Amino acid sequence: MSVNEKFAAIRKGLLEFLLLQIIAADKVYVADILKQLSATEFATQEGTLYPLLSKMRREGLLDYEWKESGTGPPRKYYELTAKGREQLRETREYWSEINGTVKKLGQK
Amino acid sequence: MNKVITINLDGVAYQLEEGGYDALRAYLETAATRLQGNPDREEILSDIERAIGEKFRALLASYKTVVVTKEVTSVLAGMGPIEADPGKAADPGASGAGAPSSASGQGTAGEERTARPSGTPRRLYRIPEGAMIAGVCNGIAAYANFDPTIVRLAFVLLTLVGGAGLIVYLVMAVVVPEARSAEEKAAAAGFPATAQEFIRRAKAGYYEAMKGFPDRKARREWQYRFKREMRANADQWRYNWHSYWAEHWGAHPGMGFALPLLSVLQGAATVVWVCAMISLLATGAVFGLALPANVPVWVAALLLCLVYAILTGPLKLARRSCYWGLGRPRWTWSFVFLADAVVWLVVAVALLWLAVHFFPQLRDAVHSLPSLAHEAADDIAAWWKAK
Repeated sequence: MSVNEKFAAIRKGLLEFLLLQIIAADKVYVADILKQLSATEFATQEGTLYPLLSKMRREGLLDYEWKESGTGPPRKYYELTAKGREQLRETREYWSEINGTVKKLGQK
Repeated sequence: MNKVITINLDGVAYQLEEGGYDALRAYLETAATRLQGNPDREEILSDIERAIGEKFRALLASYKTVVVTKEVTSVLAGMGPIEADPGKAADPGASGAGAPSSASGQGTAGEERTARPSGTPRRLYRIPEGAMIAGVCNGIAAYANFDPTIVRLAFVLLTLVGGAGLIVYLVMAVVVPEARSAEEKAAAAGFPATAQEFIRRAKAGYYEAMKGFPDRKARREWQYRFKREMRANADQWRYNWHSYWAEHWGAHPGMGFALPLLSVLQGAATVVWVCAMISLLATGAVFGLALPANVPVWVAALLLCLVYAILTGPLKLARRSCYWGLGRPRWTWSFVFLADAVVWLVVAVALLWLAVHFFPQLRDAVHSLPSLAHEAADDIAAWWKAK
């Protein structure tokens, strides 16, 4: 089992965290998100993203608004809610704790 | 050259090749099934449709108006499978370690996965494959999950008793549409469009789902559903068996010339059957062979029908094989069909002649039908009471 496979579950779990980060930076629509992720280890597809985004919206972490696009029908642009920003802050803290633990452990 | 189907994705029309349409429909159906129980199901589906539409639009130009099958499949591959429980890690052990605090899925894995495709809606069609006349009985049999021979017998009986069967049959032959495409044929029996689709689903779903169940009850419920679906599919295969056999067994060129001979045999069997029926109804004995005392006439008539169906079944199959054996349409076909038509004409004339020749008996037979029906009803009622 390669490292890549071993970490599949962890990457999947981290996806929500990354979405919060991406959406916090700017109002985005799904194609933007996919593009930003595509160059990374977290490259994903619409089939995963749409259900995850709708779950996060249901949990009150983010919201969307319709915006006209130049070429086609209107698109959904996502943005974070206050709760989403709070969640992002907590997750960042937690993540840096984990990171610290990973670095610290086993070192003398 | 391929057929083009126009579809509507979130309010915008697109033209797809038929194969691409099938693939897209299968994808959206799977998506809809996987999202069963998800409160945002409709919204996610329309998001998905819009995203697919956007990708299609990128492929089209003023001179290119149709999305071809290959493009559809590559777009769908790009979309990826719909994940029913987003944010939830595949391995339950890893999810605690890696997932952010809020990543808890809705509902149990069992609930998500027992939501199997519920099958195509059932519709009544005429099914020409393996049909005797117009495929009405075949269609009813597929619709009601019944043996077509029994449905045919019921129609024959209804026709014998006052002719209602014939009228109903003729009306249905005109009114009920014929199942032409693979989808219509699947809808006729209420099954997924292809066996491959079923096998794929079974392989993908069964073992994966067996792993993911939290408790025994959910597992047993799922097993039960799976078996039921398997059984339903076995029924379809049994039903398809006739046409399959004819297509794959003994279909080699040259057999077509046995067709007139087989027609003679089947014609003879039909004539004998009709004569036996007439003599039974008119005289209460089959060709002078008296029935045993305790066998009513209607039982004997039923038995005659059954024997006829059993005897001519193989003949019909052989005739079918011959048709397939003819291969592609060629000039030789016309001779074979001409000979076949002549044989059937002779049979029809013989039947007509018999009817005229035995006219008094035939009239007697027809007159005896209502009382025969009463007798049958009485006998059944008596048997029911005795039980």
